[in-house]
Amino acid sequence: MARPTEFQGSFLSRISIRRNQIVSMDVNHEHELEELEYFQKHVAERFSELITSPSPHHSSSSSSDAAAVSHPSDPILSIPWLQNLLDVFMSCEAEFKAVLSTTQISKSPSLERVLPEMLDRILKALDLCNAVVNGIDSVRQSRRLAEIAVTALKQRPLCDGSVRRAKRALTSLLIGLNADERRDRNSGGSGCSNQRRTTSRSWSFGTRSNVTGGGSYGQVVSKNWSATKQIQAMVANLVLPRGAEASGPVMPVYIMSSVMVLVMWVLVAAVPCQTSSVLVAPLPLPKHQNWASAAVNIQERIGEELKRKEKRCGGGGLMEEMQRMEKIGLSLMDFAERFRYPADEEEEVVVAEKVDEMEEICRGMEVGLEDLQRQVRQVFHRLVRSRIEIVSVLDQAPAI
Amino acid sequence: MAEFDSKLPVSGGKNHVFEACHHVVKALRASDNNLDANLRKLLSDLEMHLSTFGIADTEVEDVGFSEIKERFKEAVKKIRSWETNQSTILEAGLSEANQFFQALYEVQSVLVGFKALPIKTNQKEKDVYNQATVALDIAMLRLEKELRDVLHQHKQHVQPEYLAVSSRRKDIVYDESFVSLDDEVVVEASLHEDDEQISDFYSSDLVDPSVLPHIKAIANVMFACEYDQPFCEAFISVQREALDEYMVTLEMERFSCVDVLKMEWEDLNGAMRKWTRVVKIITQVYLASEKQLCEQILGDFESISTACFIEISKDTVLSLLNFGEAVALRSCKPEMLERFLSMYEVSAEILVDVDNLFPDEAGSFLRIAFHDMSKKLADHTTATFLKFKDAIASDESARPFHGGGIHHLTRYVMNYLKLLPEYTDTLNSLLQNIHVDDSIPEKTGEDVLPSTFSPMARHLRSIVTTLESSLERKAQLYADEALKSIFLMNNFRYMVQKVKGSELRHLFGDEWIRKHIASYQRNVTNYERSSWSSILALLTEKNESVRTLRERCKLFSLAFDDVYKNQTHWSVPDPELRDDLHISTSVKVVQSYRGFLGRNAVRIGEKHIRYTCEDIENMLLDLFECSPSPRSLLSSRRR
Repeated sequence: MARPTEFQGSFLSRISIRRNQIVSMDVNHEHELEELEYFQKHVAERFSELITSPSPHHSSSSSSDAAAVSHPSDPILSIPWLQNLLDVFMSCEAEFKAVLSTTQISKSPSLERVLPEMLDRILKALDLCNAVVNGIDSVRQSRRLAEIAVTALKQRPLCDGSVRRAKRALTSLLIGLNADERRDRNSGGSGCSNQRRTTSRSWSFGTRSNVTGGGSYGQVVSKNWSATKQIQAMVANLVLPRGAEASGPVMPVYIMSSVMVLVMWVLVAAVPCQTSSVLVAPLPLPKHQNWASAAVNIQERIGEELKRKEKRCGGGGLMEEMQRMEKIGLSLMDFAERFRYPADEEEEVVVAEKVDEMEEICRGMEVGLEDLQRQVRQVFHRLVRSRIEIVSVLDQAPAI
Repeated sequence: MAEFDSKLPVSGGKNHVFEACHHVVKALRASDNNLDANLRKLLSDLEMHLSTFGIADTEVEDVGFSEIKERFKEAVKKIRSWETNQSTILEAGLSEANQFFQALYEVQSVLVGFKALPIKTNQKEKDVYNQATVALDIAMLRLEKELRDVLHQHKQHVQPEYLAVSSRRKDIVYDESFVSLDDEVVVEASLHEDDEQISDFYSSDLVDPSVLPHIKAIANVMFACEYDQPFCEAFISVQREALDEYMVTLEMERFSCVDVLKMEWEDLNGAMRKWTRVVKIITQVYLASEKQLCEQILGDFESISTACFIEISKDTVLSLLNFGEAVALRSCKPEMLERFLSMYEVSAEILVDVDNLFPDEAGSFLRIAFHDMSKKLADHTTATFLKFKDAIASDESARPFHGGGIHHLTRYVMNYLKLLPEYTDTLNSLLQNIHVDDSIPEKTGEDVLPSTFSPMARHLRSIVTTLESSLERKAQLYADEALKSIFLMNNFRYMVQKVKGSELRHLFGDEWIRKHIASYQRNVTNYERSSWSSILALLTEKNESVRTLRERCKLFSLAFDDVYKNQTHWSVPDPELRDDLHISTSVKVVQSYRGFLGRNAVRIGEKHIRYTCEDIENMLLDLFECSPSPRSLLSSRRR
């Protein structure tokens, strides 16, 4: 059994040592500035990797544009990209703690104000992590449904029985992916197809509310909990430090909070979560500041995606693999609805290609989702640790 | 396929196979003239074998195909008849079920037969094949519904006696002034947890065992027809729903971290208590049973059985884990210690079960998460325990405690400690590497219990040492030396009594008890000296004048009045201690007074003597009775 003090970590002890040092204000401030600058640079670099950089296998630390072009990066919002995003988050977090350890909390009353706010944000982020872990499970269910369709449509010769089976799986899949509405609109909502869906829903997967966000897949906590509301609450009191504060210890807290909100927002946009309202671009990042430019870029791109998806249906579930799955799912559904036995040979070839692609996505998801889930859990634990560390800093502050 | 064949009720199956084979052979010959020599040889061999059954010539063969078609039509009709039937096949009885499976078999053999054929067959045969695929899909969908319905209708609940979550127990209430933990509360609290009821867990059947063969048959058929994924999907969804429902029965709500941190202590306490039970029931009974069910039904497909089990349990397990994680985010308030201890204790206890439930790589996510949580609860529990001492150390009073009675801090601490021996093993393991200064030197020998020097015992003694220092500081607040002694005597006596009268005695040990008895006895002596020495000195006279004697007698009465006025408000709650004190005081005072009067009463004169010996004796009995005062009224009302 380890000592309970173990988790209070090195960062805490560094703080208390520094606290006891008698350092002249000037020297200390200079040092602080250096740390802050380094931290900002770190955030800027790591985030720009996410939009331009090579994938982690080729990670040369200098991310020149040429290298980025020659190794196409993972598409934004894909599972590997989200994994990179979480890596970036963790490394920024580690840097943040290093910065915080150089500041003297007793000399910065403003820090005593913003740290509790940050604790509150971390707490909300913890709930978001849990919601995302659950959301990933609902994506895995989509994967299983897609696999059923793949198995059915791989049957040769293709005939009515397997198409029927595929259609059922696709219907459930598309409901799960939120694409159902659009399909209805496109197919003109013919009475026949509606009726079919109702019967299949009462018998097949539709019986359980596997619609993401509604049923027990994706429900983390009480019914009125909403990921969007959490994110809004996280931003509510996040204000860009001005004047002298902008170069003081409050700044890194602001930056780290922004990074945290952004990452949580991206996760919630990518993975279907329990939400009540439409997800909007969350925070007014200071574009002109160096550290934020890449982050702003990411935010804008995902914001665009969101808007596009919102127009079609409720938004959310922007994960690149899910979007592709939806697209292929819709075209396979069209095929299934037009299908007359015996199959047209040319069309069979086209469908086979799509089915292969779908199978490829499923394969990628099988490992990817599991790893992503693990990583989100790691972020959870990391945040818990940070929270404990910040709490002990605050606990000791008034005693000095 | 072997599985499918062996499980299906077969009648006349052999003939179909021959017919199908025959069909295959014929078609193969007709289709391609470029068959290689080996294959051609094989075909003629096969034909010869088949002919020995007398169905090899072409005419019979055509008859065979139309026969198949006829039976196929019947089979499809049978399957269709079940398509919209809302009752279960199981209810319809064994023969009906056999007929359904038989029909399915007919369809399946057409499909198998056809699959062996090259693409070029005539349109009629193709149509039959197509119809067969549809019939198969209808049958599979029907079986999926059958699976859902049977699982749902024959689900059994885990024994209701596991469910009784007691809410009658009182708990340590959060109270910064330490006044809440009174003896009465503790009496109730020590009627320990009703854990005993659930100590012998055994897994139970989540589904009526009599329907298992039917479900297994559905599984085998669906797997044989490559409908394994839809089977699993349906199975997972029904069982997940059942588990969700069970969690609702257990009234286990889901809380977010934000909720848990905001919650009032009383509500949180209830939720923690519930969690402790639910986590045990779920891991040791429910999930063990669920796993058993998965194995019974899908035992032949091990990895699929594991995957289904994980998928069924994951959501609920995560929600339980999240609560544990969230609770560990709360600040370490001393009053939470007991709940943390029991949560940690359970989390450590179930790790074995969790390891058994999720032994392999597929379940490592959940397995590791449980271990993580248990570790966090361990850290948090230890931190809470250690904080308790700090809280005692920092408890300061501005005014002396009224009447010199038992301070609420003493009550709180001792009654709190009394709850802990129940968690001896847990606390010993949590505290074993944490050094603490002990108040008694370590000893070994036959008469020393090993528990006396266990990590927990050392820590408990250290807590009491902290309490003692706090009491010493509080005692300094009294202006009256005698009252100071009474206060310390009372509190030390209380500590000793609590230790002697509970499991704590094995932990604190004889030496500690002896030392502390000596300590309060010293305070008795101190009291007598500081309270009575000067007064009794008035009664020691030497050939004095009447006047002086009268003066002495008067002074004694006044001093006695003074003591009486004061000390009747003082409190010695322990009746035995009070009696002892009355007796020893009485012996000293009354004897001295009697001797004084015996020697001098005549000279002093009766009218100058205010009190008789009997008066003194009776009045002394009123001391330490803590006669009514606002403070005591308040405390009696509080109870």
